[in-house]
Amino acid sequence: MNSKSLITGVAGAALLAAFPLITGNPYYIHMVGTIMIYAILLFGLDIVVGYTGQVSLGHAGLFGVGSYTAGVLFLKLGAPLWLIIPASIGVTAGFGALLALPALRVTGPYLAMVTLAFGTIIQILINEMDFLTEGPLGIKVPKPSIGGFQLDEHGFYWMVLALMVISLVVVDRILKSQLGRAFEALRGSPVASDCMGVSVYRYKVYAFVISAGFAGLAGCLYAYSEQYISPNTYNFELTVLFLLAVIMGGRKTRSGAMLGAAIIVLLPKLLDDLEMFRQVATVLAVLMAVGAVVGILRKMTTLRQMALPVVGTIALAGFSFWLESITDWRLSIFGLMILFVVYYLQDGIVGFAISLFVRKGVRKNVQAMADVDAAKDAIMQAANTGHIEPGQDLLTATGILMQFGGLKAINQVDLHIRRGTIHGLIGPNGSGKSTMMNVLTGIYVPTAGSISFAGSSVVGRTSSDIALSGIARTFQNVQLFGEMTALQNVQVGLHHTFASNLVDVSLHSPRYKREEAASVARGLGLINFVGLGDLAQEEARNLPYGKQRLLEIARALALDPQLLLLDEPAAGLTAPDIKELVTIIRKIRDHGITVILIEHHMDVVMSICDQVSVLDFGQKIAEGKPAEVQADEKVIEAYLGGTAT
Amino acid sequence: MEIFLQLVYSGIALGMIYAVIAFGYQLTFQTSDTLNFGQGDALMLGAMVGLTLVNRGINYWLMLPIVIAFGLVQGAVVERIGVAPAIKIKSEFGWIMSTIALGIIFKNVAENIWGRDDLKFPSPLPESPIKFLGANVLPMELLVVVGAIVMMLAVEFFNRKTIYGKAVVATFNDRDAAKLMGINTGLVITFSYALSSATAGFAGALIAPLTLTGATMGAVLGLKAFAVAIIGGLTSGLGIIVGGIILGVAETTTGFYLSTGYKDVPGLVLLLLVLAFKPSGLFGKSAIKKV
Amino acid sequence: MLTIKNLEAGYGKVQVLHGISIDVPKGKVVTLIGSNGAGKTTTMRAISGMIKPTAGEIVLNGKRIDNLESYTIAKLGLAHSPEGRRVFATMTVTDNLILGAFARLTGSRPKGDVAGDLERALELFPRLKERRLQLAGTLSGGEQQMLAMARAVMLNPEVVLLDEPSMGLAPILVEEVFRIIEDLKSRGVTMLLVEQFAAAALKVADYGYVLENGRISVHGDASKLRDDPAVRAAYLGGGH
Repeated sequence: MNSKSLITGVAGAALLAAFPLITGNPYYIHMVGTIMIYAILLFGLDIVVGYTGQVSLGHAGLFGVGSYTAGVLFLKLGAPLWLIIPASIGVTAGFGALLALPALRVTGPYLAMVTLAFGTIIQILINEMDFLTEGPLGIKVPKPSIGGFQLDEHGFYWMVLALMVISLVVVDRILKSQLGRAFEALRGSPVASDCMGVSVYRYKVYAFVISAGFAGLAGCLYAYSEQYISPNTYNFELTVLFLLAVIMGGRKTRSGAMLGAAIIVLLPKLLDDLEMFRQVATVLAVLMAVGAVVGILRKMTTLRQMALPVVGTIALAGFSFWLESITDWRLSIFGLMILFVVYYLQDGIVGFAISLFVRKGVRKNVQAMADVDAAKDAIMQAANTGHIEPGQDLLTATGILMQFGGLKAINQVDLHIRRGTIHGLIGPNGSGKSTMMNVLTGIYVPTAGSISFAGSSVVGRTSSDIALSGIARTFQNVQLFGEMTALQNVQVGLHHTFASNLVDVSLHSPRYKREEAASVARGLGLINFVGLGDLAQEEARNLPYGKQRLLEIARALALDPQLLLLDEPAAGLTAPDIKELVTIIRKIRDHGITVILIEHHMDVVMSICDQVSVLDFGQKIAEGKPAEVQADEKVIEAYLGGTAT
Repeated sequence: MEIFLQLVYSGIALGMIYAVIAFGYQLTFQTSDTLNFGQGDALMLGAMVGLTLVNRGINYWLMLPIVIAFGLVQGAVVERIGVAPAIKIKSEFGWIMSTIALGIIFKNVAENIWGRDDLKFPSPLPESPIKFLGANVLPMELLVVVGAIVMMLAVEFFNRKTIYGKAVVATFNDRDAAKLMGINTGLVITFSYALSSATAGFAGALIAPLTLTGATMGAVLGLKAFAVAIIGGLTSGLGIIVGGIILGVAETTTGFYLSTGYKDVPGLVLLLLVLAFKPSGLFGKSAIKKV
Repeated sequence: MLTIKNLEAGYGKVQVLHGISIDVPKGKVVTLIGSNGAGKTTTMRAISGMIKPTAGEIVLNGKRIDNLESYTIAKLGLAHSPEGRRVFATMTVTDNLILGAFARLTGSRPKGDVAGDLERALELFPRLKERRLQLAGTLSGGEQQMLAMARAVMLNPEVVLLDEPSMGLAPILVEEVFRIIEDLKSRGVTMLLVEQFAAAALKVADYGYVLENGRISVHGDASKLRDDPAVRAAYLGGGH
């Protein structure tokens, strides 16, 4: 953590600690305590929603599991605090794993439905299994005692504060580590994640499990805080509130989670007090109108864009004066807030504030670049695997058949790729080149045929497994992790160099610190190798197209591959970019890495390939040195068609 | 045995309702790759509006087309406010959250207008059961099955025989190519949402006399209907009818033999199982990943 | 009929076309050839509105169409038989053709005799006539290509864009497709033909443009282009 955040953090914690002493009022102490408890849950929820980018409608259920684990252990076993807290975390994490199972193979709306079903089932089970949970009657849970010493309102508050601070630090460390990058990669491009050795399935499970753990801790503390739990608390309304908190506060930030928690705790109270709501709504409408006028005059936005929010807030203020009570309309207000945030405030309040006050690129929290020596030898000499000498076959594909329904995309193709060469794969549109690429990297399983790489079979293995065994690739349509910086993208490729686990990361163990520093150094080295040196801190989506393609190559090299597959790396590049690309590919070959190159730019293929295979209609029609292939009648006909002059 | 058969009949009626709601999910998913998370609430609104009209003395049969018209408008509103902007900015998160938000708003409005308690919907048909194949069946249950089938057939007819229906199917098949024909696919999407809510509302008015009608009736129904839509593979009409019936019967039997509190569980568990093992559904086709 | 001036277009950050100009006079067949990735399909998509150009003008019969939605452009009489055919797979051959006339049946274009045109289209494409009630998705690649072309013609268009009609087809089917294009030409249909396979395209066209890396490298009468070495170089590289 940099010094600015550290100072703010310590000051904030001190302020929160002093709070109960400043105001003696137990009502407010309880309220702030609840905010902190929700914040713990939201830190975890942010992992799923903010980082892996999925909608989870089941976190109220997980929250309930945490509360009821505490309640049931207390009720049935009279268990002490030091047992209940880890048990709540553990049991809820287990439920998180259970939730992850049906969620593995689905994404987007399907995943949302899975989580919703899960949350609903939990609520039903809690309600019906009254032999365990007392059902609708609920469970009474008194404040806990530590070592025989009963915690009072203040004591409990400080315990919650301590746990929240610990949670915050742990979550922050996790999200800034290789785990956090893996989670973000899942959202950026699941295909690329798998091909960089970050298994989408595995990390999805981790994300849910870790997130559930925090929900469990929050649930357990909630039980003690409320001193009474019942099933109907953990309903759909609560889960939507949690989502609203994350997106309104601002995803991918800890302060956003805390702000969101404060909003969803304070808002219902605000709505109960009609007079205050009227005042707030009026102020809001005025602010919105003024802000819109300023924005339009400054050309930051247009009348059309601002029309809806301005009219909406004025209508809301008017509505509040017409009504006798706002409490009944609480849910509609939440619904409107969600609509507003989704379309106008995509990065939440914190995100919006950051974009206003902080210059782009500065906010990425990475160690000071100045004192890191980029590794000179970033590209490791490709190790001699299985004692295959240069010139011998590194990869052999025999009789590959890839059939989609009735279409034979690849029809009985053999490929022999010799170690240390650059092998070109060319052919007209639809000839099967990219399909071949996908078959070699495990994205498609061939209908028939065998592929042997450095002595072991490739067919049937997962993409992430294949990537980790030494085959790396780039993509025809750039698949970078857009919201991460160039360096972070390459660090995802370096994921395999990390042996540190969750504990190492949370405690910032020496092993983790070493590995993280090494990945930064190595990452910078790779970025320098492809010539992107000064762009390491730029978000990948902001890079010019040509540089994005080079970044993909750097990321692929991070896997220390024996074999690098480049899928149309020159597509869309300008002539000078192409020259640079050719130089880089040559350098890669000089490091002993074998390359398969799919390209349409004949000049590129002719100038650097040692061997070229030509596909047409899924079959290999020619193979040999570039010049031979260029003059081959069959090849000319395949490209130009008919009898060419 | 007689009780079991009765449960089967009720299950089939219930299943047809699920099928109709699932049909709505299919409609919007096929034209726009989006779903209405508030689909269950569209059903609830249909039932509530229907109840108000019937209580004011409007004949049940006359009420049905009015509810359908209301549903068309409600669906169009959901699409314009919640879905079209999200499609424009290509944000999946956007339409998921906004259809959830709109569903919440509709439910809250319904709570405030009609109260939170469940209400009784007067049945247009005699409430005494008829004997059919040795067991009792309520005339209303028969109406539900007939109504659902008639409605789905009507939509099929529209799709096959009218040029506008064909335009909708063309949009299912290939949105870009449909545009090249001169078809305004944005309007097609709005229409599919309108139709989707209309069918849900119609289903709501059909099932209301059989169950308790209230602002909360939509929530879990929507979720379970999604399970049915998934089983049908989001593309197969026959699949959702089969899936609906399986689920309906599973629920009525669980509710009777186990306990009513658990009756929602089979549907939800079914959803989880199908998504865990065959996400493309029992009847659907797996999509081929393109990289 | 159709004029394209200094067209620039691309996808997101990638600019594919760097200012091209093409003229398609009424009743003529103009072809745009070039190797893969040169930007031919991008050009077609920009014309029919599937993507929005970033600069330049496209004029159809005196009206600017570069800022219009593709369904509006279709209503103005520009038919596009897209790359990859893109027939409506779950609908019959007949329905596909009827949809080709959607704009006529719904009042956006003069109606004319749709039923008659449908019969004439089936006569022109005997293979389709045999399969008129078959689902389009079950047709072979060649049959789908014919269907896509017939569907485009059903619009009674001012101009037809044919995007890579030979792609993925066996040589014998390619011959048949080009015979049909010849036939359409003899009926006076104005066409812009994009093709990867230069030889066949230049045989049927009146005029040709060669696209290389998003720019027109050479253009002229089709008969003259056939012998021009620059054409071969554009595809197989080496020596300009």
